[in-house]
Amino acid sequence: MSETNPNPAPDSTPKAPAAPVAAAPAKPAAPAKPISRGDFLWAGWSMLAAFFAASAAAGARFMFPNVIYEPSQKFNAGQASGYDLGVSTKWLNEQRVWIVRTPSGFYAMWARCTHLGCTPNWWGDQNRFKCPCHGSNYTLDGDVIAGPAPMPLWRTKVELAPTGDLIVDKAVLENKPGKREHAPYFANYASA
Amino acid sequence: MPTLDIEKIKKEVVDSQLWRSVFRGGVWKDTPRDRAGHIIGNVWLHLHPVKVRPRALEWLYTWGMGGISFALYLILTLTGVALMFYYRPTIGLAYRDIKDLEFAVTLGMFLRNAHRWAAQAMVVAVIAHMVRVFLTGAYKKPREFNWGIGVLLLTLTLFLSFTGYLLPWDQLAIWAVTVGTNMAGATPVLGNEGPLGSLVGMRINNDVRFTLLGGTMVGENTLLRFYVMHCVAVPLVVGILLILHFWRIRKDSFSAAPYVANEEKVDVWPHLVKREYIAAAATVLFIMVWSILQNAPLEAIANPNVTTNPSKAPWYFVGLQELLVYFDPWIAGVVMPGLIIVGLIAIPYIDTNPKGVGYYAWKERPFANTLFMLGVFMWFALIYIGYALRGPNYAWYWPWEDWLMPKAAPPPTWSVFGPHGVAAYSMLLGIPLMGAVAAAWMLLPKLIQKELDGKKTMGAFLGAVALVAAVGMALGKMGPIEGAFLLFFTGASFYYGFVLPQRHIRALDWPRYLVTMVLVISTMSVLLKMCARLAFNIKYVLTIPSISMNF
Amino acid sequence: MSYRKAFIASNALMLAAFVWAFAKDFNAEWKPYQKKYYQMAADEMDKQAAAEKDGKKAAELKAAARKMRRSPLEVKQIISVDLGRYDRCVTCHVGMDEYTNTTLKNTFTEHPYKAHPKVDTALIKAHPFNKFGCTSCHSGQGLATTVDGAHGWIKHWEKPMLKGVTIQGSCVKCHDNFESIKGAEVAAQGKKLFNQHGCQGCHAINGKGGVISVELGDISDKPFERIAGYNFKRVRIDGKELPDEHHNSHWNIQNWIRAHLVNDPAEVTPNDPFAKLNAEPIPPSGMPDFTKEISKDEADAIVAYLSGMTKEEVIPYRYHVTAPPAKEPALTGAAHGKFVYQKYGCQGCHGLDAKQGRRRFNALADGQKEYDEKMPEAEQFAQMMLGAEPTLPKLMGTYTHEELVRKIENGVSAADAKKWSPKGPMPMVYMPAWKGKISKAELDDLATWLLSIGVKDDSGF
Repeated sequence: MSETNPNPAPDSTPKAPAAPVAAAPAKPAAPAKPISRGDFLWAGWSMLAAFFAASAAAGARFMFPNVIYEPSQKFNAGQASGYDLGVSTKWLNEQRVWIVRTPSGFYAMWARCTHLGCTPNWWGDQNRFKCPCHGSNYTLDGDVIAGPAPMPLWRTKVELAPTGDLIVDKAVLENKPGKREHAPYFANYASA
Repeated sequence: MPTLDIEKIKKEVVDSQLWRSVFRGGVWKDTPRDRAGHIIGNVWLHLHPVKVRPRALEWLYTWGMGGISFALYLILTLTGVALMFYYRPTIGLAYRDIKDLEFAVTLGMFLRNAHRWAAQAMVVAVIAHMVRVFLTGAYKKPREFNWGIGVLLLTLTLFLSFTGYLLPWDQLAIWAVTVGTNMAGATPVLGNEGPLGSLVGMRINNDVRFTLLGGTMVGENTLLRFYVMHCVAVPLVVGILLILHFWRIRKDSFSAAPYVANEEKVDVWPHLVKREYIAAAATVLFIMVWSILQNAPLEAIANPNVTTNPSKAPWYFVGLQELLVYFDPWIAGVVMPGLIIVGLIAIPYIDTNPKGVGYYAWKERPFANTLFMLGVFMWFALIYIGYALRGPNYAWYWPWEDWLMPKAAPPPTWSVFGPHGVAAYSMLLGIPLMGAVAAAWMLLPKLIQKELDGKKTMGAFLGAVALVAAVGMALGKMGPIEGAFLLFFTGASFYYGFVLPQRHIRALDWPRYLVTMVLVISTMSVLLKMCARLAFNIKYVLTIPSISMNF
Repeated sequence: MSYRKAFIASNALMLAAFVWAFAKDFNAEWKPYQKKYYQMAADEMDKQAAAEKDGKKAAELKAAARKMRRSPLEVKQIISVDLGRYDRCVTCHVGMDEYTNTTLKNTFTEHPYKAHPKVDTALIKAHPFNKFGCTSCHSGQGLATTVDGAHGWIKHWEKPMLKGVTIQGSCVKCHDNFESIKGAEVAAQGKKLFNQHGCQGCHAINGKGGVISVELGDISDKPFERIAGYNFKRVRIDGKELPDEHHNSHWNIQNWIRAHLVNDPAEVTPNDPFAKLNAEPIPPSGMPDFTKEISKDEADAIVAYLSGMTKEEVIPYRYHVTAPPAKEPALTGAAHGKFVYQKYGCQGCHGLDAKQGRRRFNALADGQKEYDEKMPEAEQFAQMMLGAEPTLPKLMGTYTHEELVRKIENGVSAADAKKWSPKGPMPMVYMPAWKGKISKAELDDLATWLLSIGVKDDSGF
């Protein structure tokens, strides 16, 4: 039964207890070197240091929650056909996302100013997003045209489900021109 | 009728077993031994030395600010513990509990006001204490280490105040903390929005901001974390550091210099202790009256979906927030404060001037005092701008302008060296040019061996800048206001950042010299960037978008 | 000053400051009101005792009066667990506290002493105070124990107490059938007016209605942070400015809604039509001027109706009263078409009964002068204000039935608008696509009606 067991339990074969006995005489054979007090203390200190270091590391890890009670980052934004051209603030309150429909499809933008995380407002009449905290202004594409924001608004992953629903995932973000115009940050949708 | 022998009764009381078991020592005879015994034999007083120099009793020397800071710390501890009996740190209850304190708890409003105002006062007192210690050279050998502890205590005071800011869970709290903690997200390497952060896999749910918030946004976990930090963790660390701070004052001796050689020291009891008592009593009185007359602010309940306009950090961080207008978050929110803290701790080790310990010495320490006070002044000037001159949309409003009136949209900004700037090849032109300017600025003050004539140098520099401004105006690139801005900011930077170092620290050894210049140039870069933005709408002088490096 | 004197003085001052603080806390605003109520109630009982002939009863009344007089001053509150209300209103309004005033009735006429009116009506019987609290209906700040605080007349309390008929908005929160219940007549009229004037053509309520403007399903939760303060400054109610204080007894959501009905919205929100502050010109509010159509009382009714539009308040399902959707009249052909026109709020832009298109800023319209760059700004503004939506009967002659249906289905984008001033802003209002919102049968009848009222085009085309 145990022919393939590489680690037999000590009591599974009669030989097992013999091994340490056989090895035991080898140790005293080495020249006996008394452990000096200094060496011993060194070992003690290093173990204490290791204990402290391990505790500190565990303490740091402890501060990262493994579960958080925040809503899922993914949501179903409803039927794509339900959106008109332009910016929809339908999901702003619930999901902090703008859904933008262009003639060729959809993209979704996270309504979080890239400066310090305030929520900009959409000013349809001026065709721009304006952040109330430090005055950053963004174009419809999310590019900064004024204010201190260091980079464009983040676009989220958006997919068109076979059912015609838009699935937005706020955990996957992109804002670099050239990348953000393509899947998965843009969902093609021919206008009706 | 038997006469009442007060002295006899007093003696009997003092000699009783009960009294003797509580208070060591016998009847007070006001001998030097009694006075010393009072300090040594009392656990609360023994952190004092028995005797101090007469100068240490001078109000105009100490300003009493160290003691007042500690008095405020005690007030905060007492009022804070009291408030904890009625406060529950959860989203559903926190705001309601504050309303209860306001409307339904005996002295609740008064205690909350006292806690709030004492916290604000403590920030001011600790900064004033630091200024006093700097100006009297009290950080110099052998007190370098204690100065460092003091800097940490200042930082922790600000952090304590900041963590307390969230607890009322109103709009003021959530947005101030959102602005504050987002700076942490911009930490280089450790933050998801900081440079190099994404390279090492920092995401919104595993970076340093996530640890601070206990989530990806200011929420239930954040409130609990800030509560624990505010009420337990940070006060504990502050308490330990305070003990260390006091102990080192005792061991390093108080900094005040003798008025005359071989002067006689004076007894701490009663001379210093009575002054401390008056300072503490005045502090308590001040906080009480302030708390009676003025209620602590409380806005609408926190709503993560509604950003207040403008959103501002607590006032002592508004200076940093104002810096955020000019610099990227990782510079303004992480590098600058980091430099300030590290730079302050480094001061005793780079200031080799042996003069001016224990007294005010403007003439003997012109460079150190001038630049330190410039830094303090800039900190408060930025706070003033951010607090008073920034209205809705963080637009600039003069004090006489109505915040309700709309402002024109800010003009578009541009970058000098960058993709859309005058020179598209930032790598080829911008980096070498910027590097050369920085290196020259760093090295030239020391390399020019002979002391420059201040007036002539400044004259030549201002003349050159005026010429540039004149050419700019002639070409229609700038108006007189821009010209004045240019002249003022570059002139100030040149004077404080070049002429003064050249005059005073060129003899410093290289390591100390370089560290000093890094701190000086960083300070001046704030002035220069303010000029570039306010007068010329320059967003970045140099931008390298591929690695999120913008200056 | 010697330190000995300073020691005595500072201690005296600390003690004095503490007494001051405690006295301020002890003399709470609510106490005199409660005290006076106990006195008034006790006096009343004494009076009854004096009039009482039965000696035993008189003694009982006297004892009760004595007890009332000696009642401890305390913060009283009604806790409504289901609705999350902690209302301390009864601390001052003691006459409405069922434990102090068991009958909930008294003879006092003044607030805060008088009892709640109409306590015998079915309305109050159905809404016992200890179950609903006070603020569920009245709004205000239930936790507060100060006059201004409790009524919400302070900064940062966004739901001040509802005034007058506006309280009927609270019925709307739970009663889907509010149009048919007693006591909610004003709110019901408000809803009727809302639909009659075509508000739903632009504003959706809970997803039902037009997409041009703000969804009103949660309008009473609108944070003031989202209303620019200077717009409040332009509001005129009864021809008067709102008192110039940013506290919520005047600058509140009710007055913000009212402002859009009793003022020309283009004056409340003029924006920036000549690009003085912005890179591009921005038209004034696109909402038409209803001041000539809607009276002040009617405006109040609409405000009452919309005051019930909240999503912030969590109301348990068992507090909701559902109602079947209103039955539509059985009509056919053009008559049904006219009904459809009103049902979807077409009159919001095209005018009551399609008689006259409403304002559309900077659109081309009849009666405008030719655009001239040199025209003074005020005159240009007046001309742009003359811009109007199409008056439908005038257009009908050029459409076939199918073309008209298609036009309504697809709408007209804002970018296609012909502007009066080419430099002026693009009109804010446009014709949205109604496909999927108006059913095919309804569309057919709508087109039939529109064609029937069209001015016949006899020019030969």
